[in-house]
Amino acid sequence: MSDDTTDEPSIKRELRSDLDRGFSKLVRAYQPGIHAGAYRLTRNADEAADIAQETFVRAYGALSTYDRERIDAMRLASWLWTIALNECRNRWRRQSPQAVAEVDLPGHVDPEPADGDAWRRRLAELTDTQRTAVVLRYVVDLSVNDIAEVTERPEATVRSDIARGLDRLRRTIAAEEQRA
Amino acid sequence: MTTNNVETMIARHIPETPTDLHQRTVLAVGAADRIGTADSPVGPVWLAWSPRGITAVTPMFADATIDDFLAHHRREGYGSELPRSLRSDVEDALASGRTDELEVDMSGIGDYQRSVLAACQTIPVGQVRPYGWIAEEIGNPGSVRAVGTALGRNPIPLVVPCHRVVRSDGSIGQYAFGPEMKEALLRNEGAIL
Repeated sequence: MSDDTTDEPSIKRELRSDLDRGFSKLVRAYQPGIHAGAYRLTRNADEAADIAQETFVRAYGALSTYDRERIDAMRLASWLWTIALNECRNRWRRQSPQAVAEVDLPGHVDPEPADGDAWRRRLAELTDTQRTAVVLRYVVDLSVNDIAEVTERPEATVRSDIARGLDRLRRTIAAEEQRA
Repeated sequence: MTTNNVETMIARHIPETPTDLHQRTVLAVGAADRIGTADSPVGPVWLAWSPRGITAVTPMFADATIDDFLAHHRREGYGSELPRSLRSDVEDALASGRTDELEVDMSGIGDYQRSVLAACQTIPVGQVRPYGWIAEEIGNPGSVRAVGTALGRNPIPLVVPCHRVVRSDGSIGQYAFGPEMKEALLRNEGAIL
């Protein structure tokens, strides 16, 4: 963002001096990314908006109990995504008795352009960890290091998840092109 | 389509974040205020409130807009209708001067000013106290001038009754919205001037 008051150090400064003002900046800076990632993971616009709101409601509750040192030590993007992924998983659990790994939600999707429909199908072929890693890396633009922290997996494993996920997506798209 | 740029393709065709999502989020947690209007003995007022209580009151002078109000408001705010129960509680309290039971939210106000405003809230309806009384109440008898400054910047006037603080010689003293309004508020609640 071009506004230099939305970079991580200045948001932290604001959170420490005035929680409400800092929180508003935090939402402005990070909510679009949470929404975009949640949309790709849930494939539902309403649910993505709910997750993007609920993530920050939980974040506010936590921030109001944190002291200065704790706020200083935080990595905002990975911290917020830890909350957001938990929120995604809770919703998946409520919607399906099956394990979190089975995140394909047939019949629970919004109409959108053909390309978006295609992405639903393509991502559904990835494992949960591959899909999460690929979305956090290329939709949300988190670093591998941040994804490792969010998913509590070693960086090398995350790199492997991403590589395998991308490979699977390329093969799926190549097969689509051959059929066309 | 080429399969080489799958990394960029995956981020396309994602709907925009709903335009009101930021507003809904900050209002949901009370990080921003709703702004509405209410009637008072000195005419209509802007009133800002969070889930914790009233954060600001400002008399609505002719042609003042909500943007004028927000330009001086210490918190983020969005226009809204006052809930009926809040409106009646506020209007009844302002009409009688018995505002001590209204919940106020002083977040974003510094410690010194909070202590001044808290002392001010203990002045009974219909009575007045000199600035020096407030200074003594907050344990800082030498800070009469600072008390005047803190009261002059009271963001919740009428509700936090800074109009009940007068000069030690009994004259009415200054008021952010003019001495006439201060006198009108005091007369409305039966103060003997």
